[in-house]
Amino acid sequence: MSDIANVITVARREFLTRIRTRTFVFGTVLLLAGVVAIAFVPIIVQYLEGNGTEEKVAVWVGTPDLATDPVPTLDALLNAPTGMPGAVPGAGAGGFAVSSVPDLGSAREAVTAGTYVAVLGIERDQGGELEFTLYTNERATGRTSQLVQQASNAVTIADRLERLGVTPADQASLFAPASYEVAWPEPGRTDPPEGSLEAGSSYLLGFGMTILIFMMIVLYGNWVAASVVEEKSSRVMEVILNAATPFQLMAGKVLGVGSVALVQFGAILVAGVAALLLQGRVAELVLGPAAGGVDLPEGLTIGMLLAFVAYGVLGFLLYAVLYAAAGSLVSRQEDVAQVVMPMALLSTAGYIIAVYASTGLLDIRAGWMVLLALVPFISPFLILSRIVAGEVAPWEIAASLVLLVGAIVVALWIAARIYAAGVLIYGQRPSLRTIWRLARTGM
Amino acid sequence: MSLAITNLKKRFGDVQALDGISFSVAPGEVFGFLGANGAGKTTTMRIALGLLRADEGSVTWQDRPTRSWPRRTWGYLPEERGLYGRMPVLDQLVFYASLYGVPRDRARRDALHWLARFRISEYADRRAETLSKGNQQKVQFIATILHDPDVVLMDEPFAALDPVNVALLKAAVLEMRDRGRTLVFSTHQLDMAEELCDSVAIIDRGRLVTEGPTREVKRSAGRQVVRLATSDDHDLSWLDELPHVKVTRPGRDYTELHVDADGDPQTVLRAAMGRGESVLQFEVADPSLEEIFVERVGAIDTTERTLAAAPAEVAR
Repeated sequence: MSDIANVITVARREFLTRIRTRTFVFGTVLLLAGVVAIAFVPIIVQYLEGNGTEEKVAVWVGTPDLATDPVPTLDALLNAPTGMPGAVPGAGAGGFAVSSVPDLGSAREAVTAGTYVAVLGIERDQGGELEFTLYTNERATGRTSQLVQQASNAVTIADRLERLGVTPADQASLFAPASYEVAWPEPGRTDPPEGSLEAGSSYLLGFGMTILIFMMIVLYGNWVAASVVEEKSSRVMEVILNAATPFQLMAGKVLGVGSVALVQFGAILVAGVAALLLQGRVAELVLGPAAGGVDLPEGLTIGMLLAFVAYGVLGFLLYAVLYAAAGSLVSRQEDVAQVVMPMALLSTAGYIIAVYASTGLLDIRAGWMVLLALVPFISPFLILSRIVAGEVAPWEIAASLVLLVGAIVVALWIAARIYAAGVLIYGQRPSLRTIWRLARTGM
Repeated sequence: MSLAITNLKKRFGDVQALDGISFSVAPGEVFGFLGANGAGKTTTMRIALGLLRADEGSVTWQDRPTRSWPRRTWGYLPEERGLYGRMPVLDQLVFYASLYGVPRDRARRDALHWLARFRISEYADRRAETLSKGNQQKVQFIATILHDPDVVLMDEPFAALDPVNVALLKAAVLEMRDRGRTLVFSTHQLDMAEELCDSVAIIDRGRLVTEGPTREVKRSAGRQVVRLATSDDHDLSWLDELPHVKVTRPGRDYTELHVDADGDPQTVLRAAMGRGESVLQFEVADPSLEEIFVERVGAIDTTERTLAAAPAEVAR
């Protein structure tokens, strides 16, 4: 019986047993539903706004000499995107329907009756200036009133320019925004500046990937430990230990749980990406052909995905073998939390540093950050933040991967020895000194 | 050629679990490993299987260290039952067998055969935790021998079984012996050992007390047991006057006497017939293992010095 065959047998049992549990099936379905729901939130919001909360505003023009019809101008201004970073096109639209009415009196009655939210009366005073009055039950400082006031200013300016003899075509160039750019002080540096829309979305992406890796390590690491303890407490360990070596058992367990993790995360990733890709078409179906498509998040490149998978898998392996060794030291599920504490602290530290770095609380360009991103227990969290920040030289990635693999080999060696001795210890929780002795002597 | 255990020593913290144990098990025999709780039976078995390392001494099978043999050579039934509670019975039997390299389909077929033989076929697809203790025990036994190991070590295999299941298990053990397998089991049920074992070893507190073929161990005391029933059982005083004879159990059906090594049971028979009584029963036998055990070790110690807890001493 070769090593590999037993590792596969153990992994296979672990995998099949885990994915058949009701908790796994329900958990995965819930996660998938959650991911798809989040991906479709913008469309849902747009749909609700477009249908449920449309606000009708009537416009009554009481002066005959307006050069341009104010209704399209008001419509465009009231429904302009709010300009929030990352907003999906169309989602910031105000949801106003603007139409003109011939009679102010009946329009005001219609507002009272609730047909219109407001009616805007436009007249000209003796000085020739336009005069705007908004008849509405809403608060004078409400959103509708403020937007209408801004739009009215624009109409007034257009009217004044008109009276000064500026043609509408010239007006358009008058209001064209200035060309403005933020750039790095270093010549030749082309990555998106901090805080720009583009950089913002890739920071978000690196952040999300870091969260996923952290979740995977902590969730499934604990799973590995609990599974080892289960075999100990049910005394299955003694039976299978006669058939397979501790190393085979441990490797099989880590790979089995790892495959479960891959399946679950793979499903989530596929569902998430598919939902994003389908967004445009679904938007068309729900909102009509005018709705814009949605692109993949900025910065989601093949390289980024590869890095995510590589660091996710390697990081999991490194932590999981230690979780397995920790699990082998106790014989009751209640003691698991205590014995996996070192791994929990270490992974949380790495995660928090990565979060601070991607949100700008820590300077991701600092020298100690470069060093920290090479440290095996930290790099799976931190390196992605540095990659999206465009801060990583290829040698850094290579070095951190080599160190990570090296650390896995060392951890595997130590963990296998602790595991070999630990699995037959029942009763009290071993001290640090004992663990050290076990790691040294193996049994 | 045998399973040879030579001068095993193992210490857990302050406890000297094994203190120079030596004995050997001939191939193809059923061997009883007897001792009170905490005598060192489980530790000896774990060392023999390579699960634990001895401080000193060696265990060889056919002149090679037991650790160097392929794992499928060995079958091990631990004292504490080890089954995945939430895994169906058949699935875990196949799992255990495939760890020893048995192809899945063959493991499945053999497992179904054994389940039928032990009259628990209907539990094949049930989760193990839903089975009774006795049935779990039988499943555990199947898991131990499904890969048809050459040497089977069993720790208290008969505990928790009712008489019907004990008989089923005994038959299975004897059948395996007839197929040339070597079976070692520990027990503190001495009548069971006496019935089943070709040879036995008795250990106490990590030391070997005696070992050898069951018959010789029983004869090692040098005395014989005579069971006598006569037409007039009321007066037994004449028995006490015979040399080398001691009445150990005066009874209604028969009287049991010990005749020590220097005496001859036939003198008892002659004396009885000389008294003019009619002899209804006269039987000469070896002392039981239990008597030997009690004589050599003292009554079986029921205080828990449990075996499984012993390795926890590592943790000190």
